[in-house]
Amino acid sequence: MADIGARIGRWVTVEMLIAFAVLVTAPFWIEAVGLYQYLGVEVLIWMIYALGFNLLLGYTGKPSFGHGAYFGIGAYAFGLAQHHVMTNIWLGIAFAILAAGVAGAMVATFISHRRGIYFALMTIAFGQVFWFTAVKWHAVTGGEDGLQNIPRPDVFSISLKENEALYYFALVFFCIVVIALWRLIHSPFGKVIKAIKQNEMRAGFIGYNVRLFKFLVFTISAGIAGLAGGLFAMAQGSAYPDVMSLQVSGLVVMMTLIGGGFVSFWGPVLGTIIFFVARDILGALTETWLLWYGLMFIVVVLFKPEGLAGIWQDLTRSRRSRKESVEASPLPSLRR
Amino acid sequence: MKEKKISRRQFFKRAGLAAAGTGAVFYGPWKYNRVYASKTDKPILIGMTSDASGQFANSGASDRRGMMMAIDEFNKKGGVLGRKIDYMHIDTESNPATGSRVTERMITRNEVTFLIGALSSGVANAISQVAQKYGVVYMNSNSSSPTESGENCHRVKFVWDGNGTNFAKAAVKNAIEKVGNQWLLLTNDYVWGHNTSKSTRKLVNAFGGTIVDELLVPQGTRDFTSYLLKIQQIKPDVVAAAVAGDDSKVMRQQVAQMGMGKKPAWINNQQDWPDVYGLPIDNLFGVFGTTWYYDLDLPGVKEFVQRYRQMYPDTTMKAPGNVYYNGYMCTKELLSAVERAGTTNNLKVIKQLEGIKVSARDRMQHHDAYMGANHQMQQTVYLATANDEALWEKDKNAMFKILSNVAPSDVEDTDAMAVCKMESYAETPTYEG
Amino acid sequence: MDFIIGLLPFIVNGLSLGLLFALIALGFMLIIGVMELINLAHGSLFALGAYLAMVVISPHVPWLGAFGSWYLGLPIVLRYVLAIVLAPALVAVVGMVLEVCLRPTYGKDPLYGLLLTFGAAMVLEESIRVVWGSAEQMLQVPPVLVGPFLFGGMIYSKYQFFASAFAIFIIVLVWLFLERTPYGAIIKAGAHDSEMVRALGINLTRLRLFVFGFGTALAAIAGIIMSPIWGLRPHVGVDAVIPAFLIITLGGVGSFWGAVVAGVLVGLAVGITAGFASEWSLLSMYLLLIAVVTIRARGLFGKKSILEA
Repeated sequence: MADIGARIGRWVTVEMLIAFAVLVTAPFWIEAVGLYQYLGVEVLIWMIYALGFNLLLGYTGKPSFGHGAYFGIGAYAFGLAQHHVMTNIWLGIAFAILAAGVAGAMVATFISHRRGIYFALMTIAFGQVFWFTAVKWHAVTGGEDGLQNIPRPDVFSISLKENEALYYFALVFFCIVVIALWRLIHSPFGKVIKAIKQNEMRAGFIGYNVRLFKFLVFTISAGIAGLAGGLFAMAQGSAYPDVMSLQVSGLVVMMTLIGGGFVSFWGPVLGTIIFFVARDILGALTETWLLWYGLMFIVVVLFKPEGLAGIWQDLTRSRRSRKESVEASPLPSLRR
Repeated sequence: MKEKKISRRQFFKRAGLAAAGTGAVFYGPWKYNRVYASKTDKPILIGMTSDASGQFANSGASDRRGMMMAIDEFNKKGGVLGRKIDYMHIDTESNPATGSRVTERMITRNEVTFLIGALSSGVANAISQVAQKYGVVYMNSNSSSPTESGENCHRVKFVWDGNGTNFAKAAVKNAIEKVGNQWLLLTNDYVWGHNTSKSTRKLVNAFGGTIVDELLVPQGTRDFTSYLLKIQQIKPDVVAAAVAGDDSKVMRQQVAQMGMGKKPAWINNQQDWPDVYGLPIDNLFGVFGTTWYYDLDLPGVKEFVQRYRQMYPDTTMKAPGNVYYNGYMCTKELLSAVERAGTTNNLKVIKQLEGIKVSARDRMQHHDAYMGANHQMQQTVYLATANDEALWEKDKNAMFKILSNVAPSDVEDTDAMAVCKMESYAETPTYEG
Repeated sequence: MDFIIGLLPFIVNGLSLGLLFALIALGFMLIIGVMELINLAHGSLFALGAYLAMVVISPHVPWLGAFGSWYLGLPIVLRYVLAIVLAPALVAVVGMVLEVCLRPTYGKDPLYGLLLTFGAAMVLEESIRVVWGSAEQMLQVPPVLVGPFLFGGMIYSKYQFFASAFAIFIIVLVWLFLERTPYGAIIKAGAHDSEMVRALGINLTRLRLFVFGFGTALAAIAGIIMSPIWGLRPHVGVDAVIPAFLIITLGGVGSFWGAVVAGVLVGLAVGITAGFASEWSLLSMYLLLIAVVTIRARGLFGKKSILEA
């Protein structure tokens, strides 16, 4: 991100155009490379989720280990809106974002003045409460069996029943999220959250209301997770409490990190792709896929902790610009 | 499946897309009538969807071994309709969301002919939703939730295990008469637990018993001692437990530690064989249900066990159990139905499976079995308890003592049948693989 | 009055449960305190400890031959004691290997360490599955410890009380080690400020290696003690990680007594709610956490530390 300076103020960058082009054509080649349309939908949804998550993790430096809660709330809200209000996709999406955003805001009021490890641990506690509630509240959520028969409503009388159609629908949201996040990160708001990441106390002394910024970031990130959750409910036709569990919440952290969310805007995107593709291929090849998968994680951390984006930057950037990128990127700040 | 031939479906899709551009994706015929390839040389591909990790990993392995033995037997006879039978497996991780994804993958990428396998009802339900969307016939081999053949029943899904209500029906009347009428329900606080306890409650009331209390056990509970203390304070005659999965293993451990397996009398729901096999006998307590036992004194059982041992000489489980049995039986009945139908066309196979009757001899059970209108196999239910210690010491496989067998017509889950609203044939897309 | 008498067994059980929770959290606490690392492999090491102990107590290895049958002829108490010593030592070695792998992540964001332990957790769990299979296993304990006993007209499990007593023993032992030995003092100093420890000329590399080994050995001990209560399966460790997290947050990161007190509080909360509002028993610990941490930002005994930077 050495070249940010030159691009501030632009809405669309070259990288974005490349990414969009690749994704727009994906349904045409995804089967040729041995994958399948539905995987594309799921990857796209998790990319949205991970991008929103990285605003919190990579840019503000605040890890949340209970983010699955907002993803799940989005999914439930979408389904409940379809079942109890009316079958309308926009209403469902709006509900999903709103419900997750409100839940996120609620939690954020409790934890936005927490720092470091306490922040992380509190996100776990709240995540577990939401998860527990989802399992427990049978009447609303369907409990363990989940909320079922969630429809995929038409968009302007275009059916989304086929996975390819849903893919393009989700892609529209992906593009919106990418552009919006890019703008946000390169706005004065983005500068403040990066300052918070580097040193929360210093940012406070300069006069920024650190608590408010953390609150906003958490809420926005939860809202995006809710959007992804709503789309996920459509993809699966159901909403399950499992996505809210600590284990599955951990996955988005892993995706973001392994892709290089700390050093690149595109880290979460790469991470999601590698995560799903590796899991899909390993899972079909061997029953001990967890073993190989775990080893992959270990190897990445040992040899390239900056993740895929880090490798990419090594390959493409000269020494000089790498130094710059270190200064300008959402870099690890917890130095000792 | 490395080399990917372009099937007709994909060819059309690509041609269509190329002609009309992306916009075309949004239009088009939305009835999923798919014919992948019914050329006789293409093997019938069975997608196995049982768990390989998570809390049902062990049962999942048993389930698959059962399927594989049935497949092996058909292949030795020369396959079905002249086609060899192949199988593939992907871990569903005891997680519904993964179940959905795996099912989508197996259908659209691997073009499986049929799907078999389930332990957890959440996963089974997720799989069947996707299967119904495409019209793929799915055998729920081992998930025993009443909802599976009740509100979550589907045209393409057939359920092969006895469910909580079946077992409750077999056990309650007898226990009230022989043990006592003060009952306490110990219920896992999730859908399966609640369904099972609801039907137990109804039966207890119907036969003149009283429910003195119901203790709800959250899923993931690891301290059962508090519950056992509470039970001591309430002093019921009978405790009817609907606790499943890892929770039941933990409960067993703690009941054994406190020596409470004998008093009060316990009525447990189904006891899956892989969950207890190899453990000391005092881990089994109370009366529990099962659909099959390897030591039933019936024709064919010994030979079946023999075939199992021949095929799996290395497995630590020296005797097959109910999970294995269900996996085997449903695969066998599915392939037989395909033979009778003379095609793998889903609707024709479904019609062959609907209303089938299987003789007691073929089932290796005491009574004839039949497919209910809600697509649940109505079969003999056995009540069992832990074997005498001396007998178990002699043969560590001999863990159960079968107390009684109950005919399927006496234990029908009429509630599930009443709530099951299945898609019509017309609403089910045609699928042939 | 009746209510009090009715409550008593649940308090007793809650206390015993709490001590076990504290034991589970102890190793996790040491590592998080000194290394500032959330060790997600804690649960897998917990399970590994129990599996290794099972092997030490009742090995099924044919090639042991005559030695094997002689060994199995030894009294089980002896084999059990051997398991409690040997299995944690072996797990400590695994932990130390993991620590060596972690070295490239020091000085970077702690999340990288977390990512690595996440991978290690998966590898360990799957390795257990490959070696021992996914079936439920049983850790044999000496028969004296098995069975019920009567107390105040109620049946309790002997083993659970043994386990709690053992937990107290380990807690005291660790406390003595931290308070009364020079090495303990260094660990405590390291938890306070590792830079300062290095400045004092203490070998930080060795300290970390030792702490990691020590912490994972404690995880293994907890696994051995818990498995007769929880059963033994490859993913049993999952049940240990969440309480450990919770107790550390509640007690305050880096505080020894915080972890013990929080463990007991959580045990009481779970035990008592299970008796009177059974369906809320698991949620109660999260609500307790949120209530306490809302009032006391760093948990009960937490001090301001580098972890909040």
